[in-house]
Amino acid sequence: MKMLNARVRQLTLAAILSLSTVAASAATQGSLGATSSGTVSISASVPSRVQLTGLTDVAFTNQDPAVAAANAQNVCVWSNTSTKGYNVTATGSGTSSAFTLANGSLTVPYAVEWAGSSGASSGTALATGTALTGLTSTATSPTCSSGASSTASLIVKISTANLQSMQAATSYTGTLTLVVAPE
Amino acid sequence: MAIGPIATAHAKAPRSSGPAVAAGLARGAVLCLAAAAALSPAPAAAADKARLTNLTDVAFGMVANLSADAVRAESVCLYSTSSTNGYHVTATGTGAGGAFELSSGTSALAFDVAWNSAPAQSSGTLLTPNVPLTGQFSTATQQTCNSGPATTASLIIILRSGALSSAMAGDYSGTLTLVVAPE
Repeated sequence: MKMLNARVRQLTLAAILSLSTVAASAATQGSLGATSSGTVSISASVPSRVQLTGLTDVAFTNQDPAVAAANAQNVCVWSNTSTKGYNVTATGSGTSSAFTLANGSLTVPYAVEWAGSSGASSGTALATGTALTGLTSTATSPTCSSGASSTASLIVKISTANLQSMQAATSYTGTLTLVVAPE
Repeated sequence: MAIGPIATAHAKAPRSSGPAVAAGLARGAVLCLAAAAALSPAPAAAADKARLTNLTDVAFGMVANLSADAVRAESVCLYSTSSTNGYHVTATGTGAGGAFELSSGTSALAFDVAWNSAPAQSSGTLLTPNVPLTGQFSTATQQTCNSGPATTASLIIILRSGALSSAMAGDYSGTLTLVVAPE
Protein backbone atom coordinates (compact mmCIF):
# COMPACT_ATOMS: atom_id res chain seq x y z
CA MET A 1 0.00 0.00 0.00
CA LYS A 2 2.86 2.35 0.86
CA MET A 3 4.50 1.57 -2.46
CA LEU A 4 1.25 2.34 -4.26
CA ASN A 5 0.95 5.66 -2.46
CA ALA A 6 4.54 6.48 -3.29
CA ARG A 7 3.94 5.63 -6.97
CA VAL A 8 0.83 7.81 -7.02
CA ARG A 9 2.77 10.68 -5.51
CA GLN A 10 5.51 10.22 -8.07
CA LEU A 11 3.03 10.27 -10.93
CA THR A 12 1.27 13.28 -9.45
CA LEU A 13 4.55 15.09 -9.03
CA ALA A 14 5.55 14.22 -12.58
CA ALA A 15 2.25 15.55 -13.88
CA ILE A 16 2.63 18.78 -11.92
CA LEU A 17 6.18 19.26 -13.18
CA SER A 18 5.07 18.61 -16.72
CA LEU A 19 2.21 21.09 -16.50
CA SER A 20 4.30 23.75 -14.83
CA THR A 21 6.96 23.42 -17.51
CA VAL A 22 4.39 24.06 -20.22
CA ALA A 23 2.86 26.98 -18.37
CA ALA A 24 6.20 28.57 -17.47
CA SER A 25 7.34 29.40 -20.99
CA ALA A 26 6.23 28.74 -24.51
CA ALA A 27 8.90 31.00 -25.94
CA THR A 28 11.10 29.34 -28.53
CA GLN A 29 14.74 30.20 -29.09
CA GLY A 30 16.50 30.64 -32.39
CA SER A 31 19.27 28.45 -33.66
CA LEU A 32 22.44 29.58 -35.38
CA GLY A 33 21.88 29.99 -39.10
CA ALA A 34 21.58 32.32 -42.05
CA THR A 35 18.37 33.38 -40.34
CA SER A 36 17.36 32.69 -36.78
CA SER A 37 13.81 32.83 -35.56
CA GLY A 38 12.19 32.74 -32.16
CA THR A 39 8.69 33.18 -30.84
CA VAL A 40 7.20 34.84 -27.81
CA SER A 41 3.73 34.27 -26.43
CA ILE A 42 2.00 37.42 -25.27
CA SER A 43 -1.01 37.53 -22.96
CA ALA A 44 -3.06 40.25 -21.33
CA SER A 45 -6.39 40.49 -19.57
CA VAL A 46 -8.72 43.44 -19.94
CA PRO A 47 -11.15 43.96 -17.05
CA SER A 48 -14.79 44.94 -17.43
CA ARG A 49 -15.15 48.68 -17.68
CA VAL A 50 -17.86 51.26 -18.38
CA GLN A 51 -17.81 54.96 -19.06
CA LEU A 52 -20.56 57.60 -18.85
CA THR A 53 -20.05 60.82 -20.81
CA GLY A 54 -22.05 63.49 -22.58
CA LEU A 55 -23.84 64.72 -19.47
CA THR A 56 -25.05 68.32 -19.42
CA ASP A 57 -26.58 70.41 -16.64
CA VAL A 58 -30.34 70.74 -16.51
CA ALA A 59 -31.98 74.15 -15.98
CA PHE A 60 -35.68 74.81 -15.76
CA THR A 61 -36.15 78.58 -15.90
CA ASN A 62 -39.38 80.58 -15.59
CA GLN A 63 -41.27 77.34 -15.59
CA ASP A 64 -45.05 77.68 -15.92
CA PRO A 65 -46.49 75.81 -12.90
CA ALA A 66 -49.42 74.71 -15.03
CA VAL A 67 -47.19 72.82 -17.43
CA ALA A 68 -45.12 69.83 -16.36
CA ALA A 69 -41.41 70.36 -16.80
CA ALA A 70 -39.31 67.78 -18.62
CA ASN A 71 -35.74 67.76 -19.84
CA ALA A 72 -34.31 64.90 -21.84
CA GLN A 73 -30.68 64.64 -22.81
CA ASN A 74 -28.72 62.13 -24.82
CA VAL A 75 -25.71 60.61 -23.11
CA CYS A 76 -23.03 58.11 -24.00
CA VAL A 77 -22.63 54.91 -22.02
CA TRP A 78 -19.88 52.56 -23.11
CA SER A 79 -19.43 49.06 -21.78
CA ASN A 80 -16.69 46.65 -22.80
CA THR A 81 -18.36 43.46 -21.65
CA SER A 82 -19.23 40.82 -24.19
CA THR A 83 -22.89 41.85 -24.08
CA LYS A 84 -22.11 45.58 -23.70
CA GLY A 85 -24.43 45.44 -20.72
CA TYR A 86 -24.57 47.86 -17.85
CA ASN A 87 -26.70 49.09 -14.98
CA VAL A 88 -27.28 52.63 -13.77
CA THR A 89 -27.86 53.96 -10.28
CA ALA A 90 -28.93 57.52 -9.52
CA THR A 91 -28.82 59.44 -6.27
CA GLY A 92 -29.99 62.93 -5.49
CA SER A 93 -28.68 65.56 -3.11
CA GLY A 94 -31.71 65.57 -0.87
CA THR A 95 -32.19 63.91 2.49
CA SER A 96 -31.32 60.20 2.16
CA SER A 97 -30.18 60.92 -1.40
CA ALA A 98 -33.69 61.92 -2.41
CA PHE A 99 -34.26 63.47 -5.82
CA THR A 100 -35.00 66.97 -4.56
CA LEU A 101 -34.00 70.52 -5.37
CA ALA A 102 -33.63 72.97 -2.53
CA ASN A 103 -33.32 76.55 -1.58
CA GLY A 104 -32.57 76.67 2.11
CA SER A 105 -35.41 74.89 3.83
CA LEU A 106 -37.54 74.92 0.71
CA THR A 107 -37.46 71.71 -1.29
CA VAL A 108 -39.18 70.27 -4.32
CA PRO A 109 -39.04 66.71 -5.60
CA TYR A 110 -38.20 65.75 -9.17
CA ALA A 111 -38.32 62.48 -11.06
CA VAL A 112 -35.52 60.74 -12.95
CA GLU A 113 -36.04 58.36 -15.85
CA TRP A 114 -33.55 56.41 -17.96
CA ALA A 115 -33.93 54.98 -21.43
CA GLY A 116 -31.44 52.58 -22.98
CA SER A 117 -31.57 54.40 -26.30
CA SER A 118 -30.91 57.99 -27.25
CA GLY A 119 -33.60 60.43 -28.36
CA ALA A 120 -36.17 59.22 -25.86
CA SER A 121 -38.47 61.63 -24.02
CA SER A 122 -39.50 59.06 -21.43
CA GLY A 123 -37.98 56.00 -19.88
CA THR A 124 -37.94 53.78 -16.82
CA ALA A 125 -38.37 55.70 -13.57
CA LEU A 126 -35.36 55.40 -11.28
CA ALA A 127 -35.54 55.08 -7.52
CA THR A 128 -32.68 56.68 -5.66
CA GLY A 129 -29.90 54.25 -4.86
CA THR A 130 -31.51 51.39 -6.75
CA ALA A 131 -29.78 50.07 -9.84
CA LEU A 132 -31.70 49.80 -13.08
CA THR A 133 -30.24 46.63 -14.58
CA GLY A 134 -30.31 44.85 -17.89
CA LEU A 135 -29.33 47.80 -20.05
CA THR A 136 -27.27 47.43 -23.20
CA SER A 137 -25.10 49.98 -24.94
CA THR A 138 -24.49 50.40 -28.66
CA ALA A 139 -21.37 52.50 -28.15
CA THR A 140 -18.32 51.41 -30.08
CA SER A 141 -15.89 53.83 -28.45
CA PRO A 142 -15.60 54.88 -24.79
CA THR A 143 -16.77 58.46 -25.35
CA CYS A 144 -18.85 57.84 -28.47
CA SER A 145 -16.27 59.72 -30.52
CA SER A 146 -16.91 57.25 -33.30
CA GLY A 147 -19.93 55.13 -34.08
CA ALA A 148 -23.08 56.07 -32.21
CA SER A 149 -22.74 59.61 -30.82
CA SER A 150 -25.03 58.80 -27.89
CA THR A 151 -26.59 55.62 -26.59
CA ALA A 152 -29.00 56.45 -23.79
CA SER A 153 -31.38 59.11 -22.53
CA LEU A 154 -31.57 60.78 -19.14
CA ILE A 155 -34.89 62.43 -18.43
CA VAL A 156 -35.57 64.78 -15.52
CA LYS A 157 -39.14 65.79 -14.76
CA ILE A 158 -41.03 68.01 -12.33
CA SER A 159 -44.75 67.45 -12.10
CA THR A 160 -47.26 70.30 -12.14
CA ALA A 161 -48.21 69.48 -8.55
CA ASN A 162 -44.62 69.91 -7.44
CA LEU A 163 -44.12 73.00 -9.59
CA GLN A 164 -47.16 74.56 -7.96
CA SER A 165 -45.64 73.91 -4.53
CA MET A 166 -42.58 76.00 -5.38
CA GLN A 167 -42.12 79.56 -4.24
CA ALA A 168 -42.04 82.06 -7.08
CA ALA A 169 -38.85 83.88 -8.06
CA THR A 170 -36.80 81.44 -6.05
CA SER A 171 -33.96 79.37 -7.42
CA TYR A 172 -33.93 75.72 -6.42
CA THR A 173 -30.79 73.70 -7.05
CA GLY A 174 -29.54 70.20 -6.55
CA THR A 175 -27.16 67.59 -7.87
CA LEU A 176 -27.98 64.28 -9.48
CA THR A 177 -25.26 61.65 -9.39
CA LEU A 178 -25.31 58.76 -11.83
CA VAL A 179 -23.21 55.65 -11.49
CA VAL A 180 -22.98 53.06 -14.24
CA ALA A 181 -21.46 49.61 -13.82
CA PRO A 182 -20.74 46.80 -16.29
CA GLU A 183 -22.95 43.76 -16.54
CA MET B 1 33.08 42.03 -47.00
CA ALA B 2 29.42 41.99 -46.43
CA ILE B 3 28.46 41.58 -50.10
CA GLY B 4 26.75 38.52 -51.47
CA PRO B 5 25.80 37.20 -54.92
CA ILE B 6 25.02 40.59 -56.41
CA ALA B 7 28.62 41.73 -56.09
CA THR B 8 29.91 38.54 -57.72
CA ALA B 9 27.67 38.84 -60.78
CA HIS B 10 28.66 42.42 -61.53
CA ALA B 11 32.38 41.91 -60.83
CA LYS B 12 32.61 39.22 -63.51
CA ALA B 13 31.37 41.40 -66.37
CA PRO B 14 34.54 43.48 -67.08
CA ARG B 15 36.65 40.38 -67.83
CA SER B 16 35.37 40.07 -71.44
CA SER B 17 35.58 43.79 -72.28
CA GLY B 18 38.19 46.46 -72.96
CA PRO B 19 39.58 48.71 -70.20
CA ALA B 20 37.26 51.68 -70.93
CA VAL B 21 34.20 49.47 -71.06
CA ALA B 22 35.39 47.69 -68.00
CA ALA B 23 35.70 50.95 -66.10
CA GLY B 24 32.20 51.95 -67.17
CA LEU B 25 30.77 48.62 -66.17
CA ALA B 26 32.57 48.81 -62.87
CA ARG B 27 31.02 52.20 -62.18
CA GLY B 28 27.67 50.75 -63.12
CA ALA B 29 28.27 47.88 -60.78
CA VAL B 30 28.96 50.28 -57.95
CA LEU B 31 25.77 52.17 -58.71
CA CYS B 32 23.80 48.93 -58.85
CA LEU B 33 25.24 47.88 -55.51
CA ALA B 34 24.44 51.23 -53.96
CA ALA B 35 20.89 51.05 -55.22
CA ALA B 36 20.48 47.50 -53.96
CA ALA B 37 21.82 48.48 -50.58
CA ALA B 38 19.34 51.29 -50.32
CA LEU B 39 16.36 49.11 -51.21
CA SER B 40 16.94 46.06 -49.07
CA PRO B 41 18.83 44.94 -45.98
CA ALA B 42 22.55 44.83 -46.62
CA PRO B 43 23.40 41.29 -47.68
CA ALA B 44 25.78 39.36 -45.49
CA ALA B 45 28.42 36.97 -46.69
CA ALA B 46 27.04 33.53 -47.46
CA ALA B 47 28.61 32.00 -44.39
CA ASP B 48 27.45 34.67 -42.01
CA LYS B 49 24.99 33.54 -39.38
CA ALA B 50 22.90 34.94 -36.59
CA ARG B 51 21.21 33.61 -33.53
CA LEU B 52 18.40 34.94 -31.33
CA THR B 53 18.05 33.53 -27.82
CA ASN B 54 16.94 34.42 -24.31
CA LEU B 55 13.37 35.12 -25.41
CA THR B 56 10.74 34.86 -22.71
CA ASP B 57 6.98 35.04 -22.85
CA VAL B 58 5.30 38.32 -22.09
CA ALA B 59 2.42 38.27 -19.60
CA PHE B 60 0.78 41.58 -18.84
CA GLY B 61 -1.71 40.01 -16.45
CA MET B 62 -4.80 42.03 -15.63
CA VAL B 63 -4.29 45.53 -16.99
CA ALA B 64 -6.12 47.61 -14.39
CA ASN B 65 -5.38 51.05 -15.80
CA LEU B 66 -6.72 51.20 -19.33
CA SER B 67 -5.90 54.90 -19.60
CA ALA B 68 -2.13 54.39 -19.69
CA ASP B 69 0.14 52.44 -21.99
CA ALA B 70 1.20 49.06 -20.63
CA VAL B 71 4.82 48.27 -21.47
CA ARG B 72 6.88 45.12 -21.04
CA ALA B 73 10.51 44.94 -22.06
CA GLU B 74 12.90 42.02 -22.07
CA SER B 75 16.59 41.75 -22.81
CA VAL B 76 17.55 39.18 -25.40
CA CYS B 77 20.73 37.79 -26.86
CA LEU B 78 21.43 38.56 -30.48
CA TYR B 79 24.57 37.16 -32.06
CA SER B 80 25.85 37.86 -35.55
CA THR B 81 28.96 36.49 -37.22
CA SER B 82 29.11 39.19 -39.87
CA SER B 83 32.27 41.28 -39.98
CA THR B 84 30.37 44.23 -38.52
CA ASN B 85 28.29 42.13 -36.12
CA GLY B 86 25.37 43.68 -37.93
CA TYR B 87 21.92 42.21 -38.26
CA HIS B 88 18.35 43.02 -39.09
CA VAL B 89 15.19 41.89 -37.33
CA THR B 90 11.74 41.21 -38.71
CA ALA B 91 8.65 40.68 -36.57
CA THR B 92 5.26 39.22 -37.41
CA GLY B 93 2.21 38.85 -35.25
CA THR B 94 -0.73 36.49 -35.38
CA GLY B 95 -3.19 39.03 -36.71
CA ALA B 96 -4.30 39.23 -40.33
CA GLY B 97 -1.31 39.79 -42.60
CA GLY B 98 1.04 39.37 -39.66
CA ALA B 99 -0.49 42.27 -37.73
CA PHE B 100 0.57 42.71 -34.14
CA GLU B 101 -2.68 41.66 -32.50
CA LEU B 102 -3.78 39.62 -29.54
CA SER B 103 -7.12 37.90 -29.71
CA SER B 104 -9.86 36.87 -27.34
CA GLY B 105 -12.49 35.01 -29.27
CA THR B 106 -13.50 37.37 -32.04
CA SER B 107 -12.12 40.42 -30.24
CA ALA B 108 -8.69 41.80 -31.12
CA LEU B 109 -6.24 43.91 -29.16
CA ALA B 110 -3.52 45.62 -31.16
CA PHE B 111 -0.06 46.08 -29.72
CA ASP B 112 3.16 47.75 -30.75
CA VAL B 113 6.58 46.15 -30.96
CA ALA B 114 9.79 48.08 -30.55
CA TRP B 115 13.41 46.97 -30.81
CA ASN B 116 16.50 48.46 -29.27
CA SER B 117 19.99 47.15 -30.08
CA ALA B 118 21.01 47.74 -26.47
CA PRO B 119 19.80 45.61 -23.55
CA ALA B 120 17.65 46.80 -20.63
CA GLN B 121 15.83 49.44 -22.64
CA SER B 122 12.15 50.29 -22.30
CA SER B 123 11.84 52.09 -25.62
CA GLY B 124 13.15 51.55 -29.10
CA THR B 125 12.38 51.73 -32.77
CA LEU B 126 8.83 50.70 -33.59
CA LEU B 127 8.64 47.71 -35.89
CA THR B 128 6.22 47.26 -38.74
CA PRO B 129 4.95 43.71 -39.33
CA ASN B 130 6.99 41.89 -41.97
CA VAL B 131 9.34 44.84 -42.49
CA PRO B 132 12.95 44.32 -41.43
CA LEU B 133 14.58 46.82 -39.12
CA THR B 134 18.05 47.10 -40.57
CA GLY B 135 21.32 48.54 -39.35
CA GLN B 136 21.36 46.84 -35.97
CA PHE B 137 24.60 45.77 -34.33
CA SER B 138 25.32 43.24 -31.64
CA THR B 139 27.99 43.16 -28.98
CA ALA B 140 27.59 39.44 -28.35
CA THR B 141 30.80 37.46 -28.33
CA GLN B 142 29.18 34.07 -27.98
CA GLN B 143 26.12 32.76 -29.78
CA THR B 144 23.97 32.32 -26.66
CA CYS B 145 25.65 35.05 -24.63
CA ASN B 146 26.98 32.59 -22.08
CA SER B 147 30.19 34.59 -22.08
CA GLY B 148 30.69 38.28 -22.70
CA PRO B 149 27.52 40.39 -22.44
CA ALA B 150 24.58 38.36 -21.14
CA THR B 151 22.15 40.17 -23.41
CA THR B 152 22.58 42.58 -26.29
CA ALA B 153 19.19 43.91 -27.33
CA SER B 154 15.76 44.79 -26.01
CA LEU B 155 12.37 43.64 -27.19
CA ILE B 156 9.60 45.97 -26.08
CA ILE B 157 5.88 45.18 -26.24
CA ILE B 158 3.43 48.03 -25.81
CA LEU B 159 -0.32 47.91 -25.26
CA ARG B 160 -1.49 51.42 -26.12
CA SER B 161 -4.07 53.09 -23.92
CA GLY B 162 -6.18 53.82 -26.97
CA ALA B 163 -6.43 50.13 -27.76
CA LEU B 164 -6.87 49.11 -24.13
CA SER B 165 -9.63 51.59 -23.37
CA SER B 166 -11.72 50.45 -26.30
CA ALA B 167 -11.03 46.73 -25.97
CA MET B 168 -13.67 44.26 -24.99
CA ALA B 169 -13.13 42.68 -21.59
CA GLY B 170 -11.45 39.30 -21.79
CA ASP B 171 -8.26 37.27 -21.79
CA TYR B 172 -6.15 38.02 -24.83
CA SER B 173 -3.24 36.07 -26.24
CA GLY B 174 -1.11 35.88 -29.33
CA THR B 175 2.32 35.01 -30.63
CA LEU B 176 5.09 37.23 -31.89
CA THR B 177 7.62 35.72 -34.26
CA LEU B 178 11.02 37.33 -34.64
CA VAL B 179 13.43 36.54 -37.42
CA VAL B 180 16.95 37.88 -37.42
CA ALA B 181 19.57 37.70 -40.12
CA PRO B 182 23.15 38.92 -40.38
CA GLU B 183 24.00 41.91 -42.49
